[in-house]
Amino acid sequence: MAEAIQKKLQSELEKYQQMQKDVSKSMSARQKLEAQVTENNIVKEELDLLDTQNTVYKLIGPVLVKQDLEEAKATVAKRLEYINGEIQRYETLLKDMEKKSDQHREVLSSLQQEYQRAQGRAVGKA
Amino acid sequence: MAERDNVNVQQVPQGVGRLRVEHEKVVKGCDDQIQHWENVKGDYEALEDRLKTLPDKVSYDIMVPFGPLAFMPGKLVHTNEITVLLGDNWFAKCSSKQAQTLVDHRKKHVQSALDDLHKTRKNFEARVGFTEDLEKLSDGKGKYVDIREELDVMGCKGKRRVALKPHSKPKAEAIVKMEEEEQERLTAEGSRRGVLSEEELWARLDELEADEEQEDERDRRFDGVNTNGTNDTTSSSSEEEKDGEGDEADEASKGATTMPLNGSQVNGTALPPRGDGKEEEDNEEEDGLPTIYFSHTVEPKKVRINTGKNTMLKFSEMKEQKQQAKRKKKNGASNGHSHHGLHNITSPTDIYRMFVDVKNGEPVPRKSILKSRSRENSVCSDTSESSAADFEERRTLGRSLSHDENTHSDTSDGITEGDGPSEDLQKPTSRFQAFSGTVVEKEPIPLSVPQLIIATPTLPTIPERKLEEVAPEAPREAPKRVSKFKAARLQHK
Repeated sequence: MAEAIQKKLQSELEKYQQMQKDVSKSMSARQKLEAQVTENNIVKEELDLLDTQNTVYKLIGPVLVKQDLEEAKATVAKRLEYINGEIQRYETLLKDMEKKSDQHREVLSSLQQEYQRAQGRAVGKA
Repeated sequence: MAERDNVNVQQVPQGVGRLRVEHEKVVKGCDDQIQHWENVKGDYEALEDRLKTLPDKVSYDIMVPFGPLAFMPGKLVHTNEITVLLGDNWFAKCSSKQAQTLVDHRKKHVQSALDDLHKTRKNFEARVGFTEDLEKLSDGKGKYVDIREELDVMGCKGKRRVALKPHSKPKAEAIVKMEEEEQERLTAEGSRRGVLSEEELWARLDELEADEEQEDERDRRFDGVNTNGTNDTTSSSSEEEKDGEGDEADEASKGATTMPLNGSQVNGTALPPRGDGKEEEDNEEEDGLPTIYFSHTVEPKKVRINTGKNTMLKFSEMKEQKQQAKRKKKNGASNGHSHHGLHNITSPTDIYRMFVDVKNGEPVPRKSILKSRSRENSVCSDTSESSAADFEERRTLGRSLSHDENTHSDTSDGITEGDGPSEDLQKPTSRFQAFSGTVVEKEPIPLSVPQLIIATPTLPTIPERKLEEVAPEAPREAPKRVSKFKAARLQHK
């Protein structure tokens, strides 16, 4: 009896750990996105500070490609939107994962209790 | 339990210690970040300086780094053309001055980041301080001591709070009623009643609690036309809001055994139409004595209400008292409070008898606030006379009227509180027949009842509506029914 519970406990524990890893991965991805958002915001502001007389270049690989100021602004704005959308997506994903991990945690704790009880009984018997 | 506590006590300082450690880690992290950003800030400032001086000369002779290890002499040209990395692989060629603007803009960002970090650091430092205090506390060595009181759950059973008891009433109302009754009592019977009332009051409260359960059960059995007096009383009282009962209890202390029940029922009468309208009438007259004569039922019902102390009050006695009171009222003061007129207050109904307007030389019981004033004809007729059908009509009418009354009484409540009704309400019901055992349905509830009903704020609205409906009916109704009393009165006139 106790062994069965122990096995169950192990499997649940692994699942929970996996969930935790996923959660942390999503978290880090989200953080990266956050950094990108700030960066793009700065770029946008600085582009606003410039005027059309300056030439704007974009680094594509080893090449600096000339860009139009307006075009650059538009591109940056689009990128910002895209990043924000990604952040939202990751938010929802994170929430779901959190919920699942909570459930798993509860299951784990209940299993642990059972296991301890079984242990106690086993000890009593022995 | 104690062991667990001990374990907790031991764990607490450990936990607190760990908490403090974590806090300190955060503070340290903040410090590192702040350092980093300070460096960045310094870099930007140096850059700004460079930008300012760069356009001074058209070209500079410099040592150009050539690979990782070599330099070679060269010239720095186009000193005003600066290619700025805007971030995210975007570049911009700008003049020195424009570059400076950009640098300024970036410095702002750095500064804001620095400020945030400083704030966080301060917060966490404070937290560290708190946790340190907590640590000292849990250790018990510091000047702060954690006061712990173990609650002996098994020892003391939670006392039932009086306030939660359904019978306990808001004290204010009770006091008001008490005052009123005190006056009556004192003038009527002196101190005798006072003592009795107090004891009665306490007994009543206890009884009420017990009765409540019974009432709840009986409530189910109750149906509209209930011939059983007990059911009426219980049902009406059960229907009653509990707040009514507290007041009643006070009044009951006067002497009636079933005062509280009656009182509650009286309250019930004040409430919007209930299925047992007739009971309202009945109960008003009834002073908790066993025998209740319902006008719609020929046979008198003996109602024995177990109220504990005074269950043995006899109906006949009450009847006599009431008749006496009525007689006295006739001779008594014009004001509702004919204290001198009524010396025997042994039941709640006696109180009601107090509130009588003297009209045409006759004591006309005040109309209940729940009943419409226009309904002069609502009379407590003798049982022998009224038919069941009549009572049905009266009941419905009276009930609607009673709502009207309620408005009036509500407004007058403030005035009459403790003073007895001073209004000149037309009280068509003749109470004098106190208890011929006739319970008249639709009997207007004396003004005292409205005071009990203070707690029902919604009532006033209903009567207004009903007044319109009922008013036209009332005059029509009046001529139809002529109770014995009315006839007598008419004759007198």
